[in-house]
Amino acid sequence: MDCLVCHDTTGKYKKAGPAAGMPAKDVDLKLVAENVGHSSRASCGACHFNGGGGDAIKHADLSRQLLEPSRNCDVHMGGYDFTCTECHQTRNHKISGRSSSVPVAEGKVTCQDCHSDEPHYCGSVLDHHLNKHAETLDCNVCHSPVFAKCKPTKTWWDWSKAGDKNRKSKKDKYGKPDYNKKKGEFKWGESVVPSYAWDSGYMKRVLIGDKVDINSDVINITEPVGSIKDPASKIVPFKIMKAVQAIDADNDYILVPHLFPRNKEDSTAYWKHFDWEKAFQDGMKAVGLDYSGSYKWKETWMYWRLDHEVMPKEMALSCVQCHDSLKGDKTCNRCHQDNRNIDFKNIAHKGTDFSYMKSQGRDVEHLINKTDYINFKKLGYKGDPIIHGGRFTKMPMGYEKHE
Amino acid sequence: MIKKIIFFVGLATLTTALCMADVWKAPDQEKAKERAKEVVSFIKEYKDDHKIARKISLMDAGISLKDVQDVYFLMDSPIIKDREDHYGPVRFSHKRHANLTNDCSKCHHYRPKDKAASETTRCSACHQDSFNPDHPERIGLKAAYHQQCIECHQEQAKGPVDCKGCHLQNVPDHKELVKLPDNPDAFQVTAECLRCHDTQAEDMLTTAHWLWKGPSPYTTGHRKDIMHGKGSTALNNY
Repeated sequence: MDCLVCHDTTGKYKKAGPAAGMPAKDVDLKLVAENVGHSSRASCGACHFNGGGGDAIKHADLSRQLLEPSRNCDVHMGGYDFTCTECHQTRNHKISGRSSSVPVAEGKVTCQDCHSDEPHYCGSVLDHHLNKHAETLDCNVCHSPVFAKCKPTKTWWDWSKAGDKNRKSKKDKYGKPDYNKKKGEFKWGESVVPSYAWDSGYMKRVLIGDKVDINSDVINITEPVGSIKDPASKIVPFKIMKAVQAIDADNDYILVPHLFPRNKEDSTAYWKHFDWEKAFQDGMKAVGLDYSGSYKWKETWMYWRLDHEVMPKEMALSCVQCHDSLKGDKTCNRCHQDNRNIDFKNIAHKGTDFSYMKSQGRDVEHLINKTDYINFKKLGYKGDPIIHGGRFTKMPMGYEKHE
Repeated sequence: MIKKIIFFVGLATLTTALCMADVWKAPDQEKAKERAKEVVSFIKEYKDDHKIARKISLMDAGISLKDVQDVYFLMDSPIIKDREDHYGPVRFSHKRHANLTNDCSKCHHYRPKDKAASETTRCSACHQDSFNPDHPERIGLKAAYHQQCIECHQEQAKGPVDCKGCHLQNVPDHKELVKLPDNPDAFQVTAECLRCHDTQAEDMLTTAHWLWKGPSPYTTGHRKDIMHGKGSTALNNY
């Protein structure tokens, strides 16, 4: 058991590469042990920022950027210096939080735990509408409209392209490599618009040995369970990690390759011999499943909820960024009498300033003036709910056909 | 000579400013920390209103949510901290609480007798040292915080009521506690931790961070299972 990896406060503790979790030889263990304390963004991040084999590769919303984040990157950590366990509360070393990528969970964490079911309370005329929205939308739909906003994350990983010794890696516009002989072809994204889906908090998963539909275009390894018809489901932003990986063509399950050489004598590891057959035989033997000897490359997706990188409230999406019916001069006055001393248009239009984000170096030029941000039709609506009605309210609001 | 002093003072200020610019700080938290350090002067006399009268006078003064200046602050006053320091500061979302209670008089239960004074004050303006012989009726700041927070949380059946629900406990300095030889190996370190923390180690053995698997209550078709995780059945594509 390694207490220090989580309780180090010196920043000097590190593990030796592949050494079964043992500490690196040059760490002064006595010094680290004498300075133990609570876990921190640095100690949690030492593992969780590196999911997928490097910084920000797997988690779009977790990277080393969060060690010292700017307020705009993450208002909780950057503005208020939150540690991970202030939200992911622990008891008896069980840490609450629902992972999208792995099934195990030791309690859940929601924004509502602190912010309540009526999180908008600043006394603005919009509070009522925003709190109504909170019944249907996850907070981060509006409060974190782009993911990986501070550091590019990997969005595409094609394992079938691995092993090409002639292919040279090129750098993309973010300076990230598009190829690695061991791993295959990559694509990266920075400040990406999430994929939105209905989510009830439950996930459907393909586990090792589960049969998959080998004829479908895409196999979802993880996907949210939810429906527009279910009042408890909400629209939730996701990063979808898209990849090409191998399926056993006769057994119809996902193959587990043996990648990392166990030792110098290892004769099957893909990262040593670049032979998928050997790697699948060994990998499947290790998980106790039959390998038929024939495999097929298939596109697979994993849905990962985006729960971090919450931006300051001024940077939340505005009404018009989703509801294009509010784009013109007619805004709140579709329903409300326009005789008050309130600037309706300003209220409906003032939101995430993508021009400002662009000026700060973010890759968001295409999002300036975007509307229908979450794509209502794709989520099962007939179109903008202001025109066509919400999921449970069928009355169109103040819409005149001849308009 | 004076010019020289000014030059060096200026240089020192500039250097400090430059060094400070290098140190990362969370701005909202920093502001709250600065505010928490302030000790305001003690209000000796208060207007003895009963609850309803106080509520009405706050309403008459037109005080509402919009008047909340400090949306967020830290309870970390030197009035308490200088005497005992076992716990970290408590985060307090002032505006959130103002909105939830919708009654400023719940906390701002008296006002200074001085008519010229502001209608509302900090807790620490009236509650400072405990057992002040000049004001034996006045409970100290620590008691005031605890009484106010815990009683309301119990009454509302909402919000934490136990120590660790609000506070992070300070970790005692382990320099004197840890007894290790120079250049210990990893197993010696763990054994030394477990000398005191055997219960925690027992706990650890049952967790997802140790086992890499465990209950999967949110996975469809596997809600009652306890064996899924990265260490057993989870698949990925990266």
